[in-house]
Amino acid sequence: MSEHTLAAKSAGQLNDEMLSSMRPPTWRWYGLAFFLGAVVAWGISAFTYQMMTDLSVTGLDRPVMWGIYIANFVFWVGLSHSGTMVSAILRLSQANWRRPILRAAEAMTVFSITVAGLFPVIHLGRNWVVYFFLPYPNQRGLWPNFRSPLLWDATAITTYIIGSSLFLYLGMLPDLAVVRDRAAGWRKKIYAVLAMGWRGTAREWVVFRQASTLMAALIIPVAVSVHSIVAWDFAVTVIPGWHSTIFPPYFVIGAITSGVAAVITLMIIIRRVFHLEEYLTPLHFDNMGKLLLVICLLWSYAYFVEVQTTWYAHEPIEWEVWSFMSGKYTPLLILMLIGNSVLPIAGLCFKKVRRSVKAMLVITLLVNVGMFIERYLIIVPSLSHKNMPFVWGTYSPSWVELSVTAAAFAGFTLMYVLFAKFFPMVAVTDVRELGVRHTDISLGRAKVHSLTEEK
Amino acid sequence: MEKLTSPYKWGMVVDLDRCTGCGACVVACQAENNVAICGKQEIAEGRNMHWLRIERFWVGEYPDVRVRFLPVLCQHCHDAPCEPVCPVYASYHNPEGLNGQVYNRCVGTRYCGNNCPYAVRVFNFHDHEHAWPPPLDNQLSPDITVRPRGVMEKCSFCIQRIRRAKEDAKAEGRSIKDGEVQPACAQTCPAEALAFGNMADPQSRVARLSRSPRSFRLLEHLGTHPSINYLKGGGREHV
Amino acid sequence: METLGTFKDVETATRAVEGLIKTGFPEETITSLTSASYPDGVIVKTDQRTWFRWAAVGGGIFGACSGFLLAAGTAWLYPVQTGDKPIIAFYPTGIVTYELTMLFAILGTIVGMFLEMGIPPWSARPYDPAISEGNIGISVSVDSREQMVRAGKIMEAAGALSIRH
Repeated sequence: MSEHTLAAKSAGQLNDEMLSSMRPPTWRWYGLAFFLGAVVAWGISAFTYQMMTDLSVTGLDRPVMWGIYIANFVFWVGLSHSGTMVSAILRLSQANWRRPILRAAEAMTVFSITVAGLFPVIHLGRNWVVYFFLPYPNQRGLWPNFRSPLLWDATAITTYIIGSSLFLYLGMLPDLAVVRDRAAGWRKKIYAVLAMGWRGTAREWVVFRQASTLMAALIIPVAVSVHSIVAWDFAVTVIPGWHSTIFPPYFVIGAITSGVAAVITLMIIIRRVFHLEEYLTPLHFDNMGKLLLVICLLWSYAYFVEVQTTWYAHEPIEWEVWSFMSGKYTPLLILMLIGNSVLPIAGLCFKKVRRSVKAMLVITLLVNVGMFIERYLIIVPSLSHKNMPFVWGTYSPSWVELSVTAAAFAGFTLMYVLFAKFFPMVAVTDVRELGVRHTDISLGRAKVHSLTEEK
Repeated sequence: MEKLTSPYKWGMVVDLDRCTGCGACVVACQAENNVAICGKQEIAEGRNMHWLRIERFWVGEYPDVRVRFLPVLCQHCHDAPCEPVCPVYASYHNPEGLNGQVYNRCVGTRYCGNNCPYAVRVFNFHDHEHAWPPPLDNQLSPDITVRPRGVMEKCSFCIQRIRRAKEDAKAEGRSIKDGEVQPACAQTCPAEALAFGNMADPQSRVARLSRSPRSFRLLEHLGTHPSINYLKGGGREHV
Repeated sequence: METLGTFKDVETATRAVEGLIKTGFPEETITSLTSASYPDGVIVKTDQRTWFRWAAVGGGIFGACSGFLLAAGTAWLYPVQTGDKPIIAFYPTGIVTYELTMLFAILGTIVGMFLEMGIPPWSARPYDPAISEGNIGISVSVDSREQMVRAGKIMEAAGALSIRH
């Protein structure tokens, strides 16, 4: 939103507009929540069926012992880099256009890492003894194996869930105070507890601002480490096609791509649904589009480098995995390259495309389709054609796995829908801060607008 | 923390020049270790449970066709890729050089199955606990469990037989003699292609055979240091 | 004790602050209550130094020790040979130590932040919900009833919408 329009509206009006998602729910909202809940319930019943029967209801076999569940896991962890990267990096670089986007991005991080954390439990052969992973002193003297990348996963994801939830909560603190002041009855009591007695004193703001900056600085290395650790699940093996040193940076880049694209998609949706057209302007899409362009270029670079070294050295087993993948999954591979590389790079170079909401929706949805395919194409073909040709195999997901995948998407959306109803979707106080700090001054012959920066 | 040691280092030698591909070893292993009987459907799904498989390769063009057999079982690698990746220590290295699998600790992440380059680990995708309706359950060996669903299993070099031999030897106050412990596959092979014994004893049959100029190991370039040596002569055309 | 006056805009609020300072209230006892943060000095000057980052450092150190104990300590307690890897391996220990360092640094930041802000408060403090709608609150810490009345009068004269204690 431009600073002039911000200054022109009263604070009460701004509050009303930005908090419009929290109005009493319409029957359309109930319908959407019910539909999403139904998909989630279907997925839960499919998973229960899997847990009561056995893993034969999935498409897994020897040698492809990891399939779409793990593709989901990696995809959702990747998506969780949205909030951290967008919110934290933009906070640290003090980019003003971040303000309306922050909350959506941070919430996305929390919900996608929550969904991601479910998949390691879902794909287990004996889910009921998952507590064996926990390091607790027991009478048998057993401890879990921290040399295993799966335990690094568990540690990193726990850290990231806690860290990103706290990051989200911290950012919401002043906004929760605004919501508390506008609420009544039992709602007011709950928001009062959440707002922790925030009054907005000058001292509180000083500490808040410094804490936000420190949290942003701390959460970025955690995010990078989380996806590197997920990449090491694959990279530290002896499986051809997985054992590649580029995997950690490649996965982190892929995660940022996925996350930035998802934030843009989300921005488009909430802009439409909550009538935030004045707050999420073409300028925001322009800047996010530039960010997405850069990161898609990086992703394309990493992918090109990986394939090029495989092709040139032509090591038989590695080349076999690549040719098998490109031969059997050609349509998926092409869709992935179009979605992740060709379309974003070609389209986002143009300002008109970046500022067009419709074009951005298409591009960003295709980026995430491409990223999901990319996860699948990393996992399944390498396992299908391992070192011993006699046990080469294939895999295709079963209805149980697809149901759980659908439930994951529905569950994520449902959490988002509920969040938007009960919590401020736009960083109200952050946006209003822009209006407060803006003033018009006469410089020479013109009246220019100036913005007070932090010292 | 002292490293546990043992006077025994179990190893095996598979003589490919003797192997006829008859498959008796596969059947013996299944009988000895309560390996589930799978049936056509499961095997077509890629979910067979054989701890030991005979890989068969056709070489050459008609009329000059030859066939090569390669029995592949758990190589009990000294640097096993399957061991460090198990999050709960269900797969570990015991001091006698065996790669152990602890069924009741296995949570079923299947990371070990993925990381085994020889693909010798089999997972109970199906529930096989109830695959032996009475009176078939009378054939089950009491020395070894029947694995439930969701658990990874693989060749253990018939650890129950090794245990039995160690108990007998200890009772008699001696060490295990060469040839006293025979896994089911080695015991059954009609061509005597499989030899098993203590590699730490330089005079044992396996130690002598492993020093043969015909000896090679599978996927040596991965550095897994398997305990199984394969013998193949006639120009080193290994499969 | 605090006296809180609510003002419509920056002009009336700054008039109140200047009035309070002129009659002898030290600037450290005066603070602003706003729902959007104003640059320092526009309404009141505040000390910009904070100490909560040391809580983050302390948390980080605690996390590093606990991460090391978790990865190396539990491996030492339950030494199981896997592959050719040492029981206490460098990279896994390093990775787990790093993660727990960051986790406790983050927790330390949050806890330190709340402690330094002084929230949630032990006792009730005056607040006006109108502040969320863009009004500015000026709060003065007072010791006696006489000071409370004096501060209230000055703020009313400057144009306060309401006074709370």
